[in-house]
Amino acid sequence: MDPLALNHRHVTRREFFGRTACGVGTAALASLLARDGLAAPVGSAHVGGLPGVPHFAPKAKHVIYLFQNGAPTHVELYDYKPQLRALHGQTMPESYAAGKRFSTMTGDPKGKRVLGPVEPFRQHGQSGAWVSAFLPHIASVADELCFIKSMHTDAVNHAPAISLLLSGAQLPGRPTAGAWLAYGLGTETDQLPAFVVMTSVSKGTTCGQIFYDFYWGSGFLPSRFQGAKFRGSGDPVLYLSNPDGMSRNLRRGLLDDIAALNDLKLRDFGDPEIATRVAQYEMAFKMQASVPELTDFSSESPEVLAMYGPQVHEQGTYAYNCLMARRLIERGVRFVQVMHAGWDQHGSLTTELYTQCRDTDQPSAALVKDLKQRGLLDDTLVIWGGEFGRTPFIQGNFDDRKRWGRDHHPYAFTVWMAGGGTKAGITYGASDDLAMNAVENPVHVHDFQATLLHLLGIDHKRLTYRFQGRDFRLTDVHGEVVKGILA
Amino acid sequence: MPPQPSSVLRTRAQAATQVLCRVVLIAVGCALTAPIAVAGERKPVDFSRDVLPILSDNCFRCHGPDANTRKGNLRLDVKDGALRAEDAVINPGHSAESEVVLRITSNEPDEIMPPPKSGRTLTAAQIDTLERWIDEGAKWGKHWAFEPPRDAPPPDVRNRAWPRNAIDRFIIARLETEGLAPSPEADRTALIRRVSLDLTGLPPSPAAVDDFLADTTPDAYERLVDRLLASPQYGERMVWEWLDAARYADSNGYQGDGERTMWPWRDWAISALNRNQPFDAFTVQQLAGDLLPDASRDDKLATGFCRNHPINGEGGRIAEENRIDYVMDMAETAGTVWLGLTFNCCRCHDHKFDSLTQRDYYGLFAFFNQTPVNGGGGNPQTPPVVDFITPEQSTHLATLNEKLSAAAVAVGILEQSLFPRPEGEPASASDKASKTPPEIAAVLKLKPGARGRAQLDQLEKYWLTPEPAYAAAIKAQREALDARDGFNRSLPRVMVMEDIPNPRPTFVLSRGSYEKPTDPVSANVPASMPPLPSDVPRNRLALARWLVAPENPLTARVTVNRVWQQFFGTGLVKTSEDFGVQGEIPSHPALLDWLAREFVRSGWDMKALQGLIVTSSTYRQSSRVSPALVERDPQNRLLARGSRFRLPSWMIRDQALAASGLLIAKEGGPPVKPYQPSGVWEEATFGNKRYQQDHGDALYRRSVYTFWRRIVGPTAFFDTNARTTCVVKPTRTNSPMHALTTLNDVTFVEAARALAQRVLKTAGPSPNERVELAFRLVLTRKPSSEERRVLLGSLDRARREFSADPTAARKYLVVGESPRDETLDPVEHAAYTALASAILNLDEALTKQ
Repeated sequence: MDPLALNHRHVTRREFFGRTACGVGTAALASLLARDGLAAPVGSAHVGGLPGVPHFAPKAKHVIYLFQNGAPTHVELYDYKPQLRALHGQTMPESYAAGKRFSTMTGDPKGKRVLGPVEPFRQHGQSGAWVSAFLPHIASVADELCFIKSMHTDAVNHAPAISLLLSGAQLPGRPTAGAWLAYGLGTETDQLPAFVVMTSVSKGTTCGQIFYDFYWGSGFLPSRFQGAKFRGSGDPVLYLSNPDGMSRNLRRGLLDDIAALNDLKLRDFGDPEIATRVAQYEMAFKMQASVPELTDFSSESPEVLAMYGPQVHEQGTYAYNCLMARRLIERGVRFVQVMHAGWDQHGSLTTELYTQCRDTDQPSAALVKDLKQRGLLDDTLVIWGGEFGRTPFIQGNFDDRKRWGRDHHPYAFTVWMAGGGTKAGITYGASDDLAMNAVENPVHVHDFQATLLHLLGIDHKRLTYRFQGRDFRLTDVHGEVVKGILA
Repeated sequence: MPPQPSSVLRTRAQAATQVLCRVVLIAVGCALTAPIAVAGERKPVDFSRDVLPILSDNCFRCHGPDANTRKGNLRLDVKDGALRAEDAVINPGHSAESEVVLRITSNEPDEIMPPPKSGRTLTAAQIDTLERWIDEGAKWGKHWAFEPPRDAPPPDVRNRAWPRNAIDRFIIARLETEGLAPSPEADRTALIRRVSLDLTGLPPSPAAVDDFLADTTPDAYERLVDRLLASPQYGERMVWEWLDAARYADSNGYQGDGERTMWPWRDWAISALNRNQPFDAFTVQQLAGDLLPDASRDDKLATGFCRNHPINGEGGRIAEENRIDYVMDMAETAGTVWLGLTFNCCRCHDHKFDSLTQRDYYGLFAFFNQTPVNGGGGNPQTPPVVDFITPEQSTHLATLNEKLSAAAVAVGILEQSLFPRPEGEPASASDKASKTPPEIAAVLKLKPGARGRAQLDQLEKYWLTPEPAYAAAIKAQREALDARDGFNRSLPRVMVMEDIPNPRPTFVLSRGSYEKPTDPVSANVPASMPPLPSDVPRNRLALARWLVAPENPLTARVTVNRVWQQFFGTGLVKTSEDFGVQGEIPSHPALLDWLAREFVRSGWDMKALQGLIVTSSTYRQSSRVSPALVERDPQNRLLARGSRFRLPSWMIRDQALAASGLLIAKEGGPPVKPYQPSGVWEEATFGNKRYQQDHGDALYRRSVYTFWRRIVGPTAFFDTNARTTCVVKPTRTNSPMHALTTLNDVTFVEAARALAQRVLKTAGPSPNERVELAFRLVLTRKPSSEERRVLLGSLDRARREFSADPTAARKYLVVGESPRDETLDPVEHAAYTALASAILNLDEALTKQ
């Protein structure tokens, strides 16, 4: 036999790894393993990530993004403007909207009538934050929150705006924030994916926007960084359950046999990818146990469950997903994206908006309280917000209160953050007196992204990935960290 | 002057002998094409290979093609700028007296280049390269990919026994200079599995394996290759990468995600590949078939390639904004597929790195800017279309139309008595109608046959109680309308290209925005490339012919590189999507050029090219690897061994179906819906789209026929292109989700059961024979004695488990809809099913090796 081939046959796996672990070959092997998120041995608390990241000491280690899909009305919920009430029913002063682009549903804003907020506002907590009567629970945790009332974006339709917010570009195809963090920071569990996504919609919603999978895509990053979509019914992870008749015990035995045969192959062929494969099959087996444990709420106290509201027991609801989000980050998951659709109130401010708030208000507030009481809020950044705001003027017939609506509005909207190194109990930035344009400390989507990365210890300009000859980053070629909200 | 490839190689060989070689070697492995500075005798610096990448990466952002971001009025991307006489920054022959060198070696923060805030720094080796380049006279050149492929014969090599064809001489020449030897040939069972998967996407049948192993003639392998290239499964396999590039899907994408019927285009592509249509004709037909003289239906059908882009029917979208998106998509797809260039940066500004301008972009855009599509609405059969309606379908449609007319007539008759009014007046003119709400009266004003779906709904609801008989007639009309429309929508109409008679003017769009047109541009190819012939109309046909003209420096290279990537996992140019300055330099430049020229010389003969590759000694090598070689060349760019990488997920599915005997070989036709966990579409679309799984043969068709919903792709596949934009480079990751799919998806569990049944019924009675056949059906080879021991042990364990719980065995055996042979003992069958599932999940089963 060819001596070289003979030599291959005699390299056992142990020798292979042993040799390379202390020789210069470590670099080559490490690059292979790092590519597959296995730079650290399976079983340790930290998996994957890039060397040198985080760039500086992070404030937050985990992110829970409560994404309100469809664009919640800042005018009704957070951005209190007495002047809107005063001008209610009058023609919108032209100077506010002149030359601005709106969706084709509005077209030219000229002559549109001002619509005051549907419900009254009140100040809450020591911080005196203005929150609408639509959101009593969120109002009750106002002192934990950092409101940014001067958000603005470039896009005027849902999919491009969500894509811009989550990936930095209006067209699909770039990695989303969660994928960037999974790529850059890795994760703190070998039992669960680094980036998990859950979606929900209120029952009876007529205008839900579709959840495209590019909202949690990894773009040109390797696909294992994409958000793992936990489903709202059945197995939370596709194909998680063994087929009927296949016991966990038998599965274990079969995986051992597969590993034994793969090990023979590794010894024979020497391809390090085989070792990675064995590790991934192991993690699949662990997930088969860890995910059901994750979704078993029986260990939660009745008080905690009650805090999230009655829907917490129903898989696929926002309340259920909020509690899941806490359980996920507790187990080391890096980024949890909870998305709730139905905020597109073109003609349902006086109807479906109540349902939206009823289903999301209590769980959102409960999550903040729950994290706080467990001491998790310090290193968990919670974000609540949608892709843009809604017009201060009416969409629809002013005399038909039942169908009052507001159209898409990119020029000002509100998001809030909690924990994770943000200042608690502040309001940052402001829109003008009609909630039309962000005028004080405007925060562009890219600034928001830069800040998010900053809180996780990442310089947004330095977390890049080369694709098609260009170094891409979440903030495209823009973005300034919003220092005013950093604790 | 371009360097001879051997000079590059010698430099690296010397590097390998240096004391500090180990570190360098890893650099060779990881970035084979990066220039490596070494001490001792030096070869001249090559501008395109050594200098341009440094300048591009570190300087062009501020001193490159984009005039808007240019700093200090200095360009370093063109000779006139870098080597300008006035206010010179480079003094050829004198690096120490060149401003550029003073700046890159400066210690002053506000002097040094690149500036600290750019986050970029030059390494000592890069500075050395630039200095040497200047000292050697600062010879300027063009980026290699814009120069025509060089006509260089295959090199002479020391080992004359190994090469079978020209490819091998290029490969071994490089190995010899690296001091490496090629690997021995893979054994014959490994070879037949490898080449069968590569050329047909299916494993060889045991009979084919036996025939091949028994064939001792010297050209047995070549004849095997010929058989595979001629099989109809060839096109079904080869079309995958093309569908990815063409962003083919069976729905629009975006809100609504309406189902489209582009599958006749997919079938056309498969058939074009099977009949080995020359790639130049393949190109022209897809980009401009409609403009060919006396364009046939197939010529028009082929242009469906361009129309495979997503369609955005989201409410509130401005039609022109959509239309611009579609045209950009078409232009960028052509740029990536044929030119290997990334044009999308130029939507908004001149390219930062490549000599492509925003004007170039809109020049290319203008070719595609001439269709009658206006961008409005989400019709998944937006004209122009070519229909593929059979006579039977046509007759059925006529019948449905007649039923609809009859239903409307019936309504009209009822309205005569229900709404008395003067002759010739609409029903709304009656007294009774005048008492209805305005929206009802408005509908009644229309003739019964002219009322739309929503209007019929309104009428039906309104009259349900007061006039139940009338409401029932309305309902019947609505149902007839639904039946007609539903059937009509399912009829295959392929969206194709067509140019409007009066060309639409094209403008440069400021920041790529549809609402900010600036300078007018006419259709043209990038200025830095060979010009279009002056005597032809500047339309898509001219563009397509220009792409495949012999002078085009890119198309043939880009194409052969994609083919290479398909067989070896990585292209000779690793960045198969980017041949620009920021792309990677080829690992074997001379081989790439030789292949490109050979491809053109052969008449763009795809099967000949692929035949050449798979019959080479390079391709036939064993993929076994020593730790030393992994260390030296982890990504196997030098090809001192055969390629070993995971199969595409669709091929893993097809392999399981084939090995189990479940595969249905039927070719072409509308897409099918195999098993999928319930609720996936529903959850993604709020219940608007329900997955209606097919039954029977449709469950076992090749994966290429699986229905592809763009917003939520088939769940059984992983690492696939999302089919929203053109993708020419595969992703290959290794994740636990993949393991769960192949362990638990119904398709795989059922395939394991069918495989077990096949084994129990066709192999001998001993476990040894049965285990061996199961193994061979998936992996082609026989198990080693050690493997056999593990497999038999596994079988025993499964048998014990299922004996202890026969109910579990029965449950396990009813996964999937194909019938089971009930004469087989359930415990035995279940045990073999578990074993078969394990085999289907072996690394080797998931891998081409």
